[in-house]
Amino acid sequence: MLLQGATLVGVGDVTQALTSEIIHLNRAIAIAMNRGLGEDTSSKLIRLQSVAEGWLKERGFRYLSIPPDSDRRKGKFISRLYKLFPHKTAATCSGLGWVGKNGLVINRDYGSKLSWATVLTNAPLVADLPTEKSQCGNCNLCVIHCPSGAVTGREWSINEPYREIVKYEKCSTMKKSRRLLEDRPNCGLCINICPYSRNGKTVKT
Amino acid sequence: MPTKEEVLEKLKNGVIQYDEDACKEGANEAIAIGMDGNEAIFEGLVAGMEEVGRLFEAQEYFVPEILMCADALYAGLDILKPHCKQMDLGVKGAVVIGTVEGDVHDIGKNLVKMMFDVAGFTVYDLGRDVPLDQFVEEQLRTDSELVCLSAMMTTSMIGMPKVIEKIKARNPNVMIMIGGAPTSKELADKWGADGYAEDASNALKEAIKMVSFLKNLRAEKEAEKKG
Ligand code: B12
Repeated sequence: MLLQGATLVGVGDVTQALTSEIIHLNRAIAIAMNRGLGEDTSSKLIRLQSVAEGWLKERGFRYLSIPPDSDRRKGKFISRLYKLFPHKTAATCSGLGWVGKNGLVINRDYGSKLSWATVLTNAPLVADLPTEKSQCGNCNLCVIHCPSGAVTGREWSINEPYREIVKYEKCSTMKKSRRLLEDRPNCGLCINICPYSRNGKTVKT
Repeated sequence: MPTKEEVLEKLKNGVIQYDEDACKEGANEAIAIGMDGNEAIFEGLVAGMEEVGRLFEAQEYFVPEILMCADALYAGLDILKPHCKQMDLGVKGAVVIGTVEGDVHDIGKNLVKMMFDVAGFTVYDLGRDVPLDQFVEEQLRTDSELVCLSAMMTTSMIGMPKVIEKIKARNPNVMIMIGGAPTSKELADKWGADGYAEDASNALKEAIKMVSFLKNLRAEKEAEKKG
């Protein structure tokens, strides 16, 4: 299948990660766009998703699209199902990255600079090999530099998907207090400090 | 210009195929050819949802499809709603409506509500999964003539007799109507409800009967007092 314009596309076997409502949709198409390109990545991802939907529908397959900004979509009935499946699972199961110490998907070439969209389907697509373990290794830059001390330094593996890697309350508390002082509360340090996000350039600590 | 049949077909298939764009297009076409909003909704969109119900029961469709179908239905509904002819049926009243506790199915309830809107009733919509006592409180607060209870599951409809009992105990001069797929005229009678209807247009007809009855009753009482 062609999804022109995507930075990366992968297919994962996600059988293990499904709840009963969506148990029949055991393949995840993970679509990623590089945010660094400065375009409106979100709407571009949604366009790509609808291309995939059309392709699947034409062939009589079922699908469920989970949009990039799934947590901000509420008004629709279908949005109640979005929380059943995280983009991270699609990304790791399709081998496009691991969950880093910063709690975000890290891809070898693009680090955490990707935005993700997922299309779950029952089409028997050939699945890529999953990424099973964190590749962060000894790097602890995000742990050291996180201003709120939220990054614990624990490492992710596919067998422990729900382990607490980042203490999100700490991060969001800091965001809230920052919002009072400036317009851009997102600090993004854990993304920008990551050597993978810097295209492999190493940083000295 | 598409024919009426083509538009209805498009609306129906739009819901079945969970195609929001088709439903929007069909809705706009219906308006363009001067169809009555009500007809487009019930003969088109709702007819589609009925087929979806069958597909769900046949295990052709699962929860994600049903939800997408519901979104498609609402996409068309939002466009058609303002084009439903306002009816003046001589009788108007106030109605409290909601889907009972434990039940989130509200498509049918919303269609019944829409009929009341179109007929110029004042509607207090409590939404879905409504705690039973809230019906009682809302009726007292608004002094509505009518309370409408909807349930789509055999497990949730058992809340209905409890609400009916409570409302009647607090305020016997209220009419209560129930509806939703698992309910029936027999159950309504058994539980002491005053009315039942199997679909939205009959719900309105029943409501009008009940409200006129209630108004006559009140008028008679007033007359007695004076006389
Ligand atoms: C759509 C749907 C859903 C959607 C609901 C979306 C929404 N916001 O409403 C979703 C996916 C969320 C859903 C969830 C579930 N559902 Co469901 N769902 C359906 C389905 C397919 C269609 C219902 C529908 O909207 N019909 C279309 C409308 C227009 O028709 P209607 O509701 O009957 O309304 C008309 C009349 O009844 C009447 N009417 C309705 N209310 C009132 C009120 C008054 C006062 C009056 C006078 C008239 C009236 O007028 C309406 C218009 O003409 C039915 C299957 C079916 N064949 O009905 C199952 C069905 C109702 N669901 C069912 C079940 C079991 C569930 C779930 C538990 C999980 C599951 N595995 O599916 C959950 C329940 C969650 C909860 N706690 O409520 C069962 C219920 C079985 C039972 N116990 O009786 C059904 C019957 C399917 C089945 N055969 O198993 N469901």
